[in-house]
Amino acid sequence: MEETPSYFYHALKVDEDICIGCAHCIKSCPTEAIRVKEGKARIYENKCIDCGECFRVCPVKAIYIKQDDFDLLLNYKYRIALVPAVFIGQFNEGIRTSQIYSCLKKLGFTHIYEVEHGVGVLIDMMKNYMSKNPENKPFISSFCPAVIRLIQVRFPSLVENIIHLKVPLDISSLIISQRLIDAGIKSEDIGIFYITPCAAKIAAVKSPVEKNPSPINGVINMDFLYNKVLLMLNNSDNTVEPINHSLTGRDVVWSLTGGEASNFKGRCFAIDGIRNVIDFLDKIENGEIETDGLIEMRVCDQSCTGGVLNPNNRFVAMERLKNRAVYLDENPKNSNQSTFALSKDFYDRIALMMEIEEVKPRSILKLDDNLQKALKMVEHMKKIESLLPSVDCGACGAPTCGAMAEDIIRNQSKIENCIFVNKNTQEFYTIINEIWGDDKIVEL
Amino acid sequence: MIYSFDIESGNFTGAGHASSSVKKILKQLNVDNSIIKRVVVALFEAEINVVAHADHGNIKIILDNQEIRMIVKDKGPGIPDIGMAMKEGYSTASQKVREMGFGAGMGLPNIKRNTDEFNIESIVGEGTCLEMAVYLN
Repeated sequence: MEETPSYFYHALKVDEDICIGCAHCIKSCPTEAIRVKEGKARIYENKCIDCGECFRVCPVKAIYIKQDDFDLLLNYKYRIALVPAVFIGQFNEGIRTSQIYSCLKKLGFTHIYEVEHGVGVLIDMMKNYMSKNPENKPFISSFCPAVIRLIQVRFPSLVENIIHLKVPLDISSLIISQRLIDAGIKSEDIGIFYITPCAAKIAAVKSPVEKNPSPINGVINMDFLYNKVLLMLNNSDNTVEPINHSLTGRDVVWSLTGGEASNFKGRCFAIDGIRNVIDFLDKIENGEIETDGLIEMRVCDQSCTGGVLNPNNRFVAMERLKNRAVYLDENPKNSNQSTFALSKDFYDRIALMMEIEEVKPRSILKLDDNLQKALKMVEHMKKIESLLPSVDCGACGAPTCGAMAEDIIRNQSKIENCIFVNKNTQEFYTIINEIWGDDKIVEL
Repeated sequence: MIYSFDIESGNFTGAGHASSSVKKILKQLNVDNSIIKRVVVALFEAEINVVAHADHGNIKIILDNQEIRMIVKDKGPGIPDIGMAMKEGYSTASQKVREMGFGAGMGLPNIKRNTDEFNIESIVGEGTCLEMAVYLN
């Protein structure tokens, strides 16, 4: 839509054939990254953080999350499914985890691991990081990729507060692939597939915040796989796949709200929901939050059970996961042998790969690198804002009058696009057609 | 550029409005993050001081390409001994204010630490005027 450079991969796309050009998505976006032009929603790539709020509100499902082709599996001899615990939470209590595993195997996977296997190792690394880097307090967890991107674009002063460590998904895939390679399997034969509950995780895999490429070879949307598994279960497939792992209750609830924070000492916070996250980041930035504990933040309400690709209700899924956690803690089948028990050498090797070198700030707020020029633009913007009606109607294609004023000084819109300012009837028709498409004006 | 904000006495929930607005503008100007932090901390403390101690107040922000100047004027009891008020840990905040987590006596010294220019004048029974500036380069 405009000349801003594309910073990274986005999983959220607009299907222009389906988009009807309404104002739902532009209003829901927490970074004001969407505009309507020519009757279609257009996403500013530099502003989008892949949170998926637009996906939730689109009334015609024109916004979709691009996943990898499932046939990609066929390219690999060893096909590993990395399943987040929330996937198990989508099925009702009557369905056993071993049945779900069995279906995944029949769908073509050779190995099934849950993402949270890496949690135990990660907690050690996080505690170590926090004690070694006291100057970066307060510590913000790196778990939710949409939070990282939100900080990069809207709270650039806080990038150093993010714990510079990768997440359970990375640690698990690193350990799995390293183990297979150490066992003599060629790396090109190993295909690791992540089943994702959200768009942000896809974006994080496709263009990670750090330099090294992710060891994950493909990402499959959770709703897609859920349908496939449920269909098999409904055709009374009752086979089970023996589960040989040592997940604990702590691991299973890691992606729920409080799942991380409850493992750390000191004043810890667990924030979920995009608006809450923004409010809290604002407070941290103002210096109002002093703590050496962990600040856990996830952009979805109820954390990953609220992920946009979860087919089931978030509270239902959460309840199942909590029950499963209690069950696993009461029946620690393999407690003496952790699935990811690592030798000292192996741990050190993985620990090195877990570090994130740098999280770059990429402010979307800055108007110009030159202070004098930026100052003029701010002044100009203030003037334009005073002319606009503060109705935030969205008729100009921008979500608010403030966003419109910014678009104008960035030469991405013109004041004539405001229907309160422009009273020229002929121009009005042309402008509405330009913004909303030529089928929107109603004649009585 | 000049901005003006009114501050309501006793309304702690409303405090922070000026510092948040100023923060947004400084981000738009691409001012260095460490400078933004100092401005926001100083301004927030100043806002809280007015909310906690005065009857009414106003903040005037004057911004150019060299500095941000913040003038915080209030009508209120004034400060009888500025020297004392500048000591860390000294506070005349009421119990009610302390219960809300404010009034630890860090306000004025904290403001001074975070600003490049700092001047305070006060007349007992009339009010206080705090002028501070942070250089942008």
